[in-house]
Amino acid sequence: MFGPHQKIILHLLDIPKMADALKGVVMELQDSSYPLLDSVVATTDVQTAFLHINVAILVGAFPRGPGMQRKDLLKVNVSIFKEQGEALNKYASRDVKVLVVGNPANTNALTALTKASDLPTANFSALTRLDQNRAQSMISEKVGVSVENVNNVIIWGNHSLTQVPDVNHGYISNYPQRDLVSPIKSAVEDEKWLNEQFIPLVQNRGAAVIAARKLSSAASAANAIVGHMRDWLLGTRDGEVVSMAVYSDGSYNIPKGLIFSFPVTCRQGQWSIVQDLKISPFIQAKLELTTKELEEEKQVALSFLN
Amino acid sequence: MNMNRYLVRNFSSASNLFVNAKGKQPVRIAVTGASGQIGYQLLFRIASGSMLGPDQPVILQCLELPQAMNALKGVSMELDDCAFPLLKGIVQTDDPNRAFAGADYALLVGARPRSKGMERGDLLKANAEIFSVQGKALDKNANKDTLRVLVVGNPANTNALIAARNAPSIDPKRFSAMTRLDHNRGLAQLAEKTGSSVTDIEKFCIWGNHSATQYPDINFGSINGKSLTSIINDDEWVKKNFIPTVQQRGAAIIAARGLSSAASAASAAIDHMRDWTYGTNGQWTSMAIYSEGEYGADKGLYFSYPVIVSPNGKYEIVKGLQLDQFSKERFEKTRAELVEEMTAIKELLP
Repeated sequence: MFGPHQKIILHLLDIPKMADALKGVVMELQDSSYPLLDSVVATTDVQTAFLHINVAILVGAFPRGPGMQRKDLLKVNVSIFKEQGEALNKYASRDVKVLVVGNPANTNALTALTKASDLPTANFSALTRLDQNRAQSMISEKVGVSVENVNNVIIWGNHSLTQVPDVNHGYISNYPQRDLVSPIKSAVEDEKWLNEQFIPLVQNRGAAVIAARKLSSAASAANAIVGHMRDWLLGTRDGEVVSMAVYSDGSYNIPKGLIFSFPVTCRQGQWSIVQDLKISPFIQAKLELTTKELEEEKQVALSFLN
Repeated sequence: MNMNRYLVRNFSSASNLFVNAKGKQPVRIAVTGASGQIGYQLLFRIASGSMLGPDQPVILQCLELPQAMNALKGVSMELDDCAFPLLKGIVQTDDPNRAFAGADYALLVGARPRSKGMERGDLLKANAEIFSVQGKALDKNANKDTLRVLVVGNPANTNALIAARNAPSIDPKRFSAMTRLDHNRGLAQLAEKTGSSVTDIEKFCIWGNHSATQYPDINFGSINGKSLTSIINDDEWVKKNFIPTVQQRGAAIIAARGLSSAASAASAAIDHMRDWTYGTNGQWTSMAIYSEGEYGADKGLYFSYPVIVSPNGKYEIVKGLQLDQFSKERFEKTRAELVEEMTAIKELLP
């Protein structure tokens, strides 16, 4: 995550029911003899887990059970992320960078942020990097190029079915031949596919993986976490844009105070939203849908917080 | 009869002509048992560059049983979803010939696990069938000039022997079995005991079989030039605590996790192949390799030795070590077990 010279200390938190399994994980970490792993703290106590941490990856959340309504899911997760936000506020390093993965990620991040009033709102984010990687891979397959030649595919909005994969600002390098670049739209040459198939494919990829594996995505989610944190702390490359769900400042007329996925660049541990991208009416309509969903989730979450 | 189903996605129509910006051709890495627990940890780290470095593109050639092809498809979807720049293709197949076609590396993870009431001899025979088929397929299809085979599936040493014997046109030194996990486990225990870092410990090794008879040997070990035995200064701890802990660590993991080691096994496999390719920089590591009779092991056994790997990827057994009486007894025990295993499947060998 942070390169071959950065030593780390892992603080692992899980619920008491999982204490034995957590012990097994620690044993395997030890058995891997990683030169960069300085030590491991494994605990069921949130204070111990969050004490002086510089990075927080909040994967654990309450999963949706059968018959569970969306409102119930939000309610139980609000109580988890309220506690974690308060703990971050009290115990974490003041520069802590927080990535929320557990769903509903955007709203869970917002809950945590709300309860961590001493920490900068810019230090909280949610994961849409997995969606971005998926979109990038699908475009590479459609065009028939190597995946690293697909650049700057953007994910806007909520990490949910209303997410907006947007290729209008992306390009393919070394296409149609070496040293040339093409906008993704012209390389794909199939607007119908882009609008009617590509977008739902990305939105529904999570379910497709579950159908094949009988388990939800884990390794690819973990890989996205690594990419998100690495780029946030070590910086994006020149010209590279990545997607992060961050605290909205009103850019692109998205209401302030939501955790919303934007195109960003990162430098010296800070992200900045890429400005002045032209938004087509087609994309604008989708941005409004995902915004609406996030505002509804926010209202429900706030109602449980008070 | 099963169709030889395979799904190939290459990003160039002739991947053997593909040269990426840094000039390296992709290598073909076959992984069996690819959709299992260890495979799940292994494939992503290989594809991300952990095994062969950030400049070496790879093609993963995944072998699974017919009933696991759907799960393999799910793993392949997740690999796609990582957008790994180094991953230049994924082959998914239940046909060993396709899995090993042109292979430069083969990680044989899949094996028949022990089922309830299964006798040791039955387990050996069941795996002999699997590894005979794979040995033959490697013989026919792999890249004989570059091939490195690591057998992880247990009983690893004997499975390596079976595979190698069924691949008569491949140099038996291109086959190996994994004791790197035991080696890493030993380092971790020693680091904790001495309050040092795993990278400080030199000249530790595992002798023999990847089983409960393995012999973790600290007699030549040192930290910053000072001998491990004098730093630890507790022969009782070494014999009654350290050695059994390393030998039985696998069972301890199962007891804690409810599942066998996967991530640490994958990590060891990565370490083994990386060091075998790029060298150990003068340091000792442990590999179960073809014995020419060194230190009294029977010729032809796959026996774990202390080795040093040169920068051009050739391993050499550390020679001239003096084993004390205790060590000789441990060595003999694990040697005898390997001979017993070989005897049990002898008539199945070509």
